[in-house]
Amino acid sequence: MRTSKWSLILAFIPLFAACSGGSSEQDELDTTTTTDPAQDARLEKTRNIFYNVPSPMETAALLKKAGAQYNAGILNDVKNVDNYTSASKQALNLGVYGADLSYASVFNQTQESMFYTSCSKKLADRLGVIHAFNDSTLEAMESNMNDRDALLDIISETYWSMDAYLKENERENISVLMIAGGWVEGLYIATQVSKTNDAPELRQRIAEQKLSLGDLIGLVGSYEGEEEIVGNVKADLESLAALFADVNVGGGGATLTEENGVAVIGGDSPAAALTDEQLEAIRAKAEAIRTNYIN
Amino acid sequence: MLNRNILMNAALVGAFLLTASAAQAQCRSFAKNKCVPELAPYKFNESFNGAQLAPGEEAEVNLTFFSGQEYRVLVCAHPILGEVNWKLVDNNNKIVFESLADKPKKNFDFKAASTTQMKVVVWVPPMSGKSDMVHVGCVAIMLGFKE
Repeated sequence: MRTSKWSLILAFIPLFAACSGGSSEQDELDTTTTTDPAQDARLEKTRNIFYNVPSPMETAALLKKAGAQYNAGILNDVKNVDNYTSASKQALNLGVYGADLSYASVFNQTQESMFYTSCSKKLADRLGVIHAFNDSTLEAMESNMNDRDALLDIISETYWSMDAYLKENERENISVLMIAGGWVEGLYIATQVSKTNDAPELRQRIAEQKLSLGDLIGLVGSYEGEEEIVGNVKADLESLAALFADVNVGGGGATLTEENGVAVIGGDSPAAALTDEQLEAIRAKAEAIRTNYIN
Repeated sequence: MLNRNILMNAALVGAFLLTASAAQAQCRSFAKNKCVPELAPYKFNESFNGAQLAPGEEAEVNLTFFSGQEYRVLVCAHPILGEVNWKLVDNNNKIVFESLADKPKKNFDFKAASTTQMKVVVWVPPMSGKSDMVHVGCVAIMLGFKE
């Protein structure tokens, strides 16, 4: 038992090395407070209206239920982590690696989960999110690496803590980029997996991302104007939304019934679906956007 | 005199921002310690939707529910506010579930038969009686799902 644990730790060393290293140059993402009318309107808006974007973990769990397979080859290379020297790239790729981590963890890929944890921690350190993602998080993950449920709980809590830390410290622009990076990576993974596993359920889940995309654009749009990169990300998302425009995902009324004592909510629309052309266009666009983010 | 006023205003703005930031931190801490455990056995979806609300104020969030998934919608309010009202409405603004302060329910568990978007609307009842004290407290709207 002890031998296997040490073997695992030794196996991690090269990848931890890839995901470790010194500090790097940062670009200046403005986190100061201004008093322009647009921001006042946003503050008023965000005070009571929230945008809920499904987390990478929720998306990964949906993909698994839809019959998706695990494919390590499509994930962002851990060696890329040292290429991200600007705060905006670090934030986007914290989301990308976070989504890769969720995907690997949901599919019980313990070793790769640790690699992506290490990359995420490195980017979190560079962004100054050390309170939310510290050495004790890594230790907790290592000691629970054979307990999938515990591992997923730790990852979920870490993601939430990072997001909360950024928002509490008036760095919502970083948080928004992280959420957008994670969402794009989730869509990229789903569309790539569908190349070799073109199940109707998987197409349905990809089509349904139209709903999340609308919320994500709303969230990113509330920070537009503060940073050029946020505006660029919003434009990327809107180019994706254009491809989803003709996808029917329902959205009508909901009916409440009960089955065996459990409340059941059903809509009056058929299940979402994608044509081959729509899927191909969304796949190509997601890949292009994601390639821009990770390079 | 002018400089003094500017300094005073800057200090007030600074104090306000610090207070707002501290209040937001307290809200997240409240949600983490008091609300997340109430989602069990559902998994928290990692999205925090919460704010400091005063009596008479309202908050809302759009949520996407995916077919075949089981969910718990939880509205968690700081005790200082007392019971709050909340409802789950569909895209036609039809009420699917409602919890009123005089007969409160903290959560609503259901299975989504089809993928749909609905909105959770929370509103804090106005204070009864006359008081100079306005109580502001954290209200969190949280979603849990079964893997």
